[in-house]
Amino acid sequence: MRETSHSKQPVVRVEELAIGYATRQGLVRAVRDVSFEIRRGETLGIVGESGCGKSTVAYGLVNYLGKNGRIVHGDIIFQGQSLVGRSPEELRRLRGDQISMVYQDPMTSLNPVMPIGAQMAEVLTVHRKMAQDEARRRCLAMLTKVAMPDPEAVLARYPHQISGGQQQRVVIAMALLNDPALLIMDEPTTALDVTVEAAVLDLVVQLRKEFDTAILFISHNLGVVARVCDRVAVMYAGEVVELAPVREIFANPRHPYTQGLIRCVPKIAHTKGESVLYPIPGRVPAPDSLPAGCTFEPRCQYAIEACHQQRVALAPLSPSHASRCIRSHEIDAQAWLPPDVEVPSLTAVTSGATDGPVLQVKALNTYYKQGGGGILGLTKRPPVRAVDGVSFSVARGVTLGIVGESGCGKSTLIKTVIGLEERTAGTIELMGVDIGKLSRRSLATIREMQMVFQNPDATLNPSYAVGQQIARPLRRLAGVPKAQVRAEVIKLLRAVKLDEYYYDRLPRQLSGGEKQRIGIARALAGQPDVILCDEPVSALDVSVQAAVLNLLGELQQANQMTMLFIAHDLSVVRTITDYVAVMYLGRIVEIGPSSAIYAPPFHPYTESLLAAVPVPDPTVKQAHIRLGGTPPSPANPPSGCRFHTRCPRRSLLPAGGNICTEEEPPWRDVASDHQIACHLTLEQLAAIEPVFSFGKEE
Amino acid sequence: MLVKDYMLRHPVTIEPTKRAVEARRIMTEQGIDFLPVVGDGRQLQGLITPSCLEISPERLASLDVWEITRYLSNLTVARVMVKREALHYTHPETTLEDAASLMIRHKIGGLPVVEGKDLVVVGMITNADLLTELRNILGAVEPGWRLTIRVPGNHGELVQLTREISERGWSIMAMGNVRAVRAPEHWDIVLKIWGCTREELLAVVEKNPTQELLDLRETTYVTR
Repeated sequence: MRETSHSKQPVVRVEELAIGYATRQGLVRAVRDVSFEIRRGETLGIVGESGCGKSTVAYGLVNYLGKNGRIVHGDIIFQGQSLVGRSPEELRRLRGDQISMVYQDPMTSLNPVMPIGAQMAEVLTVHRKMAQDEARRRCLAMLTKVAMPDPEAVLARYPHQISGGQQQRVVIAMALLNDPALLIMDEPTTALDVTVEAAVLDLVVQLRKEFDTAILFISHNLGVVARVCDRVAVMYAGEVVELAPVREIFANPRHPYTQGLIRCVPKIAHTKGESVLYPIPGRVPAPDSLPAGCTFEPRCQYAIEACHQQRVALAPLSPSHASRCIRSHEIDAQAWLPPDVEVPSLTAVTSGATDGPVLQVKALNTYYKQGGGGILGLTKRPPVRAVDGVSFSVARGVTLGIVGESGCGKSTLIKTVIGLEERTAGTIELMGVDIGKLSRRSLATIREMQMVFQNPDATLNPSYAVGQQIARPLRRLAGVPKAQVRAEVIKLLRAVKLDEYYYDRLPRQLSGGEKQRIGIARALAGQPDVILCDEPVSALDVSVQAAVLNLLGELQQANQMTMLFIAHDLSVVRTITDYVAVMYLGRIVEIGPSSAIYAPPFHPYTESLLAAVPVPDPTVKQAHIRLGGTPPSPANPPSGCRFHTRCPRRSLLPAGGNICTEEEPPWRDVASDHQIACHLTLEQLAAIEPVFSFGKEE
Repeated sequence: MLVKDYMLRHPVTIEPTKRAVEARRIMTEQGIDFLPVVGDGRQLQGLITPSCLEISPERLASLDVWEITRYLSNLTVARVMVKREALHYTHPETTLEDAASLMIRHKIGGLPVVEGKDLVVVGMITNADLLTELRNILGAVEPGWRLTIRVPGNHGELVQLTREISERGWSIMAMGNVRAVRAPEHWDIVLKIWGCTREELLAVVEKNPTQELLDLRETTYVTR
């Protein structure tokens, strides 16, 4: 990078910030003693579990704290001037157009009834009083900078007419139109697909260099932070517990909480059986019931008597590294020993070692009918082929992961298997018997297949105690006599590591992880043979996610259940599954053992998915492959190979891959249990560079 | 090498209604000599330089401490700043040499960088930025042999030398050439060369008798 002489004064400096909310219990300090600074062209990441005060800090900077929130202590110096204690009008002028914010959901920042061009131009015509045509020219240039395909046409469209990733690009472009000195991004990629997320993160890195903007980047995903940030602040219970350059945080974390967070993230380098996830015990304390000493002390395995007695200050370990722990200098992440708690060690299972398949799906189609098109609605429109000719089989005790972008049909597939959707064609056999139409399924078939849903909030009845909710399938499916139900429920609660007294709790009294455990306990009640999990951990924090993953793996292994597991996070999939099926536009494009599909030969689509995974380790080098465009509509899939419109490897075939547009790809057998649907030969696929190289420093 | 590549983006600014005391505090704290004064939408209104903040005693009615305080509290940025009409500024797409000429001609140390008809402030460029550029052109941040030669102003002199260097697989890390001040028919060339020994380099230079070796020294430091 070129050297410049510019002063190293930070754009924003936060000093001992404390933010409180007035509640009926009095003032609750959600954020305490937070200090950091961000310089020009620097990205500071804030990570931590939900409820740690990450977003509160961001909202404090722009004073969007709501009616009952206020800054109770400390100072925010932005470009040399304090933002605290000023009138709203003064603040507006001072901040002016120099601070922009990008939120998690792009649709909350876009006006749905206004064309994109008009909303973007408004930023310039209102703030800068720019002329219309000049404003439009600038918007166009900015959309081109954020790599928007066909920017001219996008200006005339409404927000709902473009994809989620494109919406987020529009929001980022809008945030940058005024050339802000500080850009606050609050989970900007959480709502996006992994492939789109990768492209948006590339964009953030590139724009920061070009515009010299200071960025405050909030995320719960350590992988995302590792990719875009220069420095990272780890927050816990409203305090910054560790602040260090990004490489330092991952290579040499000094705070027990940071170490714990890194340990409970699944590593892409590890397959099932190689890695053990150690969840952090306990949960984040509420701001109104903080422990007396160090806030992390109740969950910390290094805690000593002194930790219990007094608050700990953020102390520097080196000029760039600070930690809020009195034992930071003596605890070494490398010398860490697993605690005495039981952590299951999962072993990979192969199909060959077991007897015939438990679940066999052959040429399964699930189509959704579309309403008529044309003026009178009389023209027939083609159905949406959500699942189109999917075949696979799973043996007893085996976990099959299903991965793919949103809209590839993975949820439809398992909903069809369990019977929430009616199949259009094909067979689904459970232990050799076709399970038939849903309405004709026997109670025994229903008992044998159970499902764990993504969002436990939406699947638990809010007005029943959780005990009753688990009791229902016990009585209905397992036929447990009424007198024994309570004892059985408690047994199940114990199995999912919850105590007896949860029996009478209502869902709203539980945390997200606990609710998901209840969901799992309910699914297990009928002692099913097959358990289907639709993104069971994606709504959970990493430490909770680790605990739930361990639990699922352990229960599955103990009960020899067959599991189908959907997740968009490929590291999670690799940790828990034995086999992985990669889906694209309703089809399986590759299926094979989890240990095999993460290295060549792989399908070009698998390769692109792997290249997009945010890896929480800045030393891992990842191939740079980005999928262009958006997935085509499943109502009108491309001819030949469905992936040909976006395939980065098509050029390896003769004649620019003409064959891909004309013929369906053949199945190529890498091994007896590993197939790839591609026109490229196995030799060509094997010659592709691996996506990951686990080198040390560059 | 345009102004936009070397300017300071997102400079600290101040509004004209603020007190001069505030401007002085910001300049001291941020360690800057130029503070652009902006109105709504960051439109350039003026510039505060250290000389704007020099208050001669005759402007005060008395040296009474109350009087001084009263005077200072009424002194706004708008009253002390260099007004827009009297101000020189530049644009992001201007070349560095044009910006430098402007600064030399008017003996000023810094220029606000503005965009558009309404002069929206997008940056600040100072003589320190120009010196940084000079340092980078001469390759002070790269290690290697710093060679200064004087060549006659004939066509192809430089080509011959660079060919010799590239044929041997050495790298030219930086280069600057200027018409020799005391020998108008000649050019002085400074090259930063990497990948050779002193003897090898001397042998190449001595092959061409028209090239006069002015200076050769090894630079190993990297200024970061």
